Amino acid sequence: MTSTFLPSPPSKILSDLLNRNEKWTEANSGLFLQETQSPKVLWIGCADSRVPESVITNFEPGMIFTHRNIANQFHADDDNAISVLIYAVENPKMRVDHIIVVGHTRCGGVEACCKAAQADDSPPANALQRWLAPLTEFARNNGLGGDLSALLEANVRMQVDNVLKSEVLEREWGIRDVHVHG
Amino acid sequence: MASTFSDPSPMILTNILGRNEKWAEAMNDATKGQFFPKSAEGQSPKVLWIGCADSRVPESVVTNSYPGDIFTHRNIANQFHPTDDSAVSVLTYAVEHVKVEHVILVGHTNCGGAAACVKAAEAAQSEPTSALDRWLGPLTELARTTTPEGDLTALVEANVRVQVSNILASDVLEREWKLRDVHVHGWVYELETGKLRDLGISAGRNGPLQY
Repeated sequence: MTSTFLPSPPSKILSDLLNRNEKWTEANSGLFLQETQSPKVLWIGCADSRVPESVITNFEPGMIFTHRNIANQFHADDDNAISVLIYAVENPKMRVDHIIVVGHTRCGGVEACCKAAQADDSPPANALQRWLAPLTEFARNNGLGGDLSALLEANVRMQVDNVLKSEVLEREWGIRDVHVHG
Repeated sequence: MASTFSDPSPMILTNILGRNEKWAEAMNDATKGQFFPKSAEGQSPKVLWIGCADSRVPESVVTNSYPGDIFTHRNIANQFHPTDDSAVSVLTYAVEHVKVEHVILVGHTNCGGAAACVKAAEAAQSEPTSALDRWLGPLTELARTTTPEGDLTALVEANVRVQVSNILASDVLEREWKLRDVHVHGWVYELETGKLRDLGISAGRNGPLQY
């Protein structure tokens, strides 16, 4: 089958990124004296290319500790996200005060769950389906398969809830307050 | 016991939302209202960036990219574990649905996750007790077996090589390479200078590539 996707001239995209990086370092030379990071915020957002947390909030590097995955999930059994939460909250050099779960409109992951919720229930066949299974089940059980914006908001509420119920926060709240937002 | 920590300040959130509002307005003005409606139609980034959660390495800022340019997964110490549904689902979505052409695995100097592994490697081997310990298990093992004691940058680079190799060995790429080529690269971001350095380990479906 002929591919409709031909790689762009191999060097162009990468050399573009590297050139832009070089120009950016020249324009921002004052920034690189910082030895450690002390962000006050952990952002749990979507991998979607259109939601780069530091660009849309116009922040310099060093402000937002960031975890981005498909459909901004926080699962209680996901070592990946939990280790980010542990590091952000417990590490003495970090100790973020705020955790913000950020969903977004037109989320492909949420859309996929809507579709799957309307289809027949079947066991997940791959990592992506397993990953989206909790949200798909939620959509199915709550009749949200046809309502993308309701599901995306419900998703944010669900993930905020998951973070609030985490053992990490339970422990840290014994020492200091940490706020969670959606 | 008196707390030595002050309560989270609401000002931080007000600040973030305020900055976002100004940014959105400025973007709108600069692009005569064109940018957001077009962006909302869909994304077609050519690049998946797998990097560290470290606040100092925001991919789109350090490459001066626009929203829509870089599909992004960031976790502790820029790992790609074959059994990690989170990273594998990002790779699956990016490669099979969004059809990125390049996957760039980006480590960085002074990585706290890598530093923790150097320490753990120097200590006696013990069972991981937390999600973070488990997450950093493979990197700790790498620190123990392959890098000179205490040399953090060497470990950061070795880590990038291993993660690139994990991605190249993934089922996702094996499948997609039957349809089209996808290239994988390993970079290191230098906190001291803000510069990205290509480790020259790029590869695609036909093996190593000159970049």
